[in-house]
Amino acid sequence: MSERLRSVGLDVGTTSTQLIVSELTVENRASGFAVPEMEITGRQILYKSPVHFTPLLDENLVDGQGIRRIVEKEYEKAGIGRDRVDTGAIIITGETSRKENARVVLDALSSFAGEFVVATAGPDLESVLAASGAGAVDYSQKTGKTVLHMDIGGGTSNLALIEDGRIMGTGCLNVGGRLVKVDESGRITYVSPVLSGLTDLKVGDTPGAAQLEALAQLLVGALEMAANLREETPLLAKLTTDEAAGASPRPKEKAVISFSGGVADCILQEHPPFQFGDIGPVLGKSIRESRLCAGEYMLGQETIRATVIGAGCHSAQLSGSTVFYKAVDFPIKNLPVAAFSQLEQDGEDLDRLIRQRLETIDGERAVLAFPGYDAPDYGKVTALAEKIVRGVDRRPVYVCVETDMAKALGHCLILRLPPDTPCLCLDRIRLTEGSYLDVGAPVGPALPVVVKTLVLSNS
Amino acid sequence: MNKQELSAMVADILKSMGKEPAVKGSEYYPSDPGPQMVDTHYQDGDFVEDVSALDLRKLYLVDEPADAEAFRKLKARTPARLGSGRAGPRYKTLTMLRFRADHAAAQDAVFSQVPEDYAQKNGLISLQTRCRSKDEYLTRPDLGRIFDEENQKLLRSAISKPPKVLLVVGDGLSSAAIMANATQCMAAIRDGLKARGIETGQGVFVRYCRVGAGDAIGDITGCELVCMLVGERPGLVTDKSMSCYITYQPRIGVSESSRTVVSNIHAQGTPAVEAGAHVAELIEKILKHKVSGVGLHLEAQL
Repeated sequence: MSERLRSVGLDVGTTSTQLIVSELTVENRASGFAVPEMEITGRQILYKSPVHFTPLLDENLVDGQGIRRIVEKEYEKAGIGRDRVDTGAIIITGETSRKENARVVLDALSSFAGEFVVATAGPDLESVLAASGAGAVDYSQKTGKTVLHMDIGGGTSNLALIEDGRIMGTGCLNVGGRLVKVDESGRITYVSPVLSGLTDLKVGDTPGAAQLEALAQLLVGALEMAANLREETPLLAKLTTDEAAGASPRPKEKAVISFSGGVADCILQEHPPFQFGDIGPVLGKSIRESRLCAGEYMLGQETIRATVIGAGCHSAQLSGSTVFYKAVDFPIKNLPVAAFSQLEQDGEDLDRLIRQRLETIDGERAVLAFPGYDAPDYGKVTALAEKIVRGVDRRPVYVCVETDMAKALGHCLILRLPPDTPCLCLDRIRLTEGSYLDVGAPVGPALPVVVKTLVLSNS
Repeated sequence: MNKQELSAMVADILKSMGKEPAVKGSEYYPSDPGPQMVDTHYQDGDFVEDVSALDLRKLYLVDEPADAEAFRKLKARTPARLGSGRAGPRYKTLTMLRFRADHAAAQDAVFSQVPEDYAQKNGLISLQTRCRSKDEYLTRPDLGRIFDEENQKLLRSAISKPPKVLLVVGDGLSSAAIMANATQCMAAIRDGLKARGIETGQGVFVRYCRVGAGDAIGDITGCELVCMLVGERPGLVTDKSMSCYITYQPRIGVSESSRTVVSNIHAQGTPAVEAGAHVAELIEKILKHKVSGVGLHLEAQL
C-alpha cells in the first residue's frame, strides 16, 4: 500500500526565484501483522523551473505580482492544476524586510491557496531545507560524519551543523554574492548596508581586483570562524543576522564542509569576475583558497537549487501512524506551539500552566507539546488527559507528544471533553517553543506536518 | 567398582528419574515486572548483579575497536547480539551468561502461570480450557481450543445476553507477556471503544489458552466479535511480547485467514496502551465492514 503526495517548493531568494514540483511516496513499512508505520520512502522531482531573477520593486521589496506570474507560468509548464497540490513550502529570504516581503508574496499567491503550500520563512528552516536539499543530511547519515553545511546565496549564508544525519544547530550570516553589485564595466551599482564599516567601497567606484578580493576574504573569514577554523573576532557577531543572533552552530570535532547556493557553483569553477554582475565569482575563489577547503569538503548534489528542493521535498514530515483527530478541518495552519518540559508535564499544576500559556498566546489556538512517556501505564495517560482538559477550559484541543501514545491520549481526551470539541492528538513529532505547526489532510493513518520557525500570517 | 555397587548405582539413578523435578511448571509465576533495563557502562571484569538488566543495545564488548562510536550507532538500531567481542574463539563469559539468562526467561515465560487471582483482580470471568496442565497444553493444542461442560456452563451463566464485543485475555505461550501488557492494553481498548460509542461488558480470562478458544467462546456466548489478547511464543529478544487477535463472527471452524492480528505488543515494540487504542479503532472498522482478517484488507482496498 503506498500513497502519493504532490508537493511544491517555491524559493524566493534575494537573487533568484525557483519552483519545483515533486512527488513524495508514503508507504507502510510495518508488516501486515503489526501496527502500521508510515514513512516517506521516495522523493521524486517531477519538474524543476529555470532559475528566475527575483522580481523586485526596489532594492529590497519583492514584486508580488511578478512572483505570481512566474508561479502561474511554471504551473502551466509543469502541467499541474492548482487543486493538485497537497503540501509544500514557500521560502522567502532576503537581506532585509523579510516579513514585509513574505506578506507581499503570500497576498499575491493567495489564489493558489487551497491545499497549497504552507507559507514559511526564517533562517533556521531555510538552513535545514538547504542542507536536506543539497544531500548533506543524507551524506552525514550514511557516513556517520559530522558535516557543516553552508548554503551561500545572494544575501546570506545559511549554516547547518549535522551529526549522524541529525541537524544539531543552524545559523545565518550576512555573507553572500550580491552584497555588492557591479555593472559590465566593473563599476559598483550597489553596496549592501550590512557591509557598512567593513569596506570603503561605495556606489560609483570602480575597484581593482585586489580591493574586491580583500572584501571577499573578510567575508570568508567570518565563515571560517563559524566553522571553528579561525579564531573568533567581533566580525562574526557583526555579520550574524539579527534573526539568527547567538545561534551559530560550531562543530566540536573536525567537520566535513559542504557547500550549496549560487556561490557554490563558483568554488570549483573559474568564472569571469563580473559574469553575474556581482562578487559571487570573487567570493567563490576566496572560498576555494580558504581554510574551508583545506580539509575535507564537498559540493552538494544540488547547489543553487538546494533550498527549493529542500522546500519541495523535505519540508513535510509525517506524524506517527497512530494518531487521533475528531471534528478537525484540515489543513490546519499556523498553530503556535506551547511546549512543556518533562517536569511541567508531570507537575501537579499542569492545568494551571496550560491555562496561563493559552491566555498569553494570541488567539484561542495553540498546540500543546509534551515529551510524553515511553510505553506508559494507562494511568499516566489518563492523568495527563485530565490535566489537559482542565487546562484548555473548553477551547479546541491540539496536542503533540514525542512518544508513541497519541491515539490512546486522544481517546482519553474526548471521553472527558464536552461533545463536539475539536480534538487533534499527534505523536512522534518534536516541537519547540516559538515554532508553528501546519497539519495537512491525512495520508493513510498518518498526518503530514510542517514545523515552521517563523510565522508570517495568522489568517 | 564391583558389580553390586554398579547395579545399586543404576537402581539409584533409575529411581531418581521417576522423581518430580524440584520445582514444577505449575508453580512458576512470572517475575513481575521483570528487571528494569539500565544504561550500562559495563567493562570487562566489572561485577554485574543481574546480567539480564543490562541493555543489550548499549552493550558493546569488542576490544580495541576501530570505530566504537559507529558500531554503537548500529547497535542502537537492532536487538541482535552484535559486537559482543570474543575470548579466543569463544563468547565472553557475560555474553554466554546473558544468552542463557534470556533463554531461561523465554522458557519461564512459557512454563509459568498467570497468578490465580489475576482474573478476579481485573474483573474477568475465569475459565480454563480442556488442558489440565502446562505440559498437556503444550502437547495437545486441540485441547487448548475447547472447554469442558463445567466451564461452558460457567460462561453461559455469566454472560446471558450475546455481547457485541467480547474481550478475552489468554495466557497463551507467555504468561510474562500477559502480566506485562494485558491490563494496560485492555484499559486502552475499553476507553477507545467507549470513545467510539461501543460498550464492552465483562471480559474473560482463559488459562491454557490457544487463539482458537475464542471461537468456542463465540459459539457459547453468541457474541459478534471476539478480541483476544494472548501471549506470543517468546524469543530471545523479549519474553513479554503479546498479540491481539480479532475475529468477527467467531465460531468453531472459522478459517485462520478470517482473523485480524496485531502483533509485537511490548515496551520495545508497540507500547501496550497505544496498541490498545489502535485495536479499538480496528474493532470499530471490523464491526462496520462486518468482516475481519484478509476480508477486511480486501474490503479496505475497494
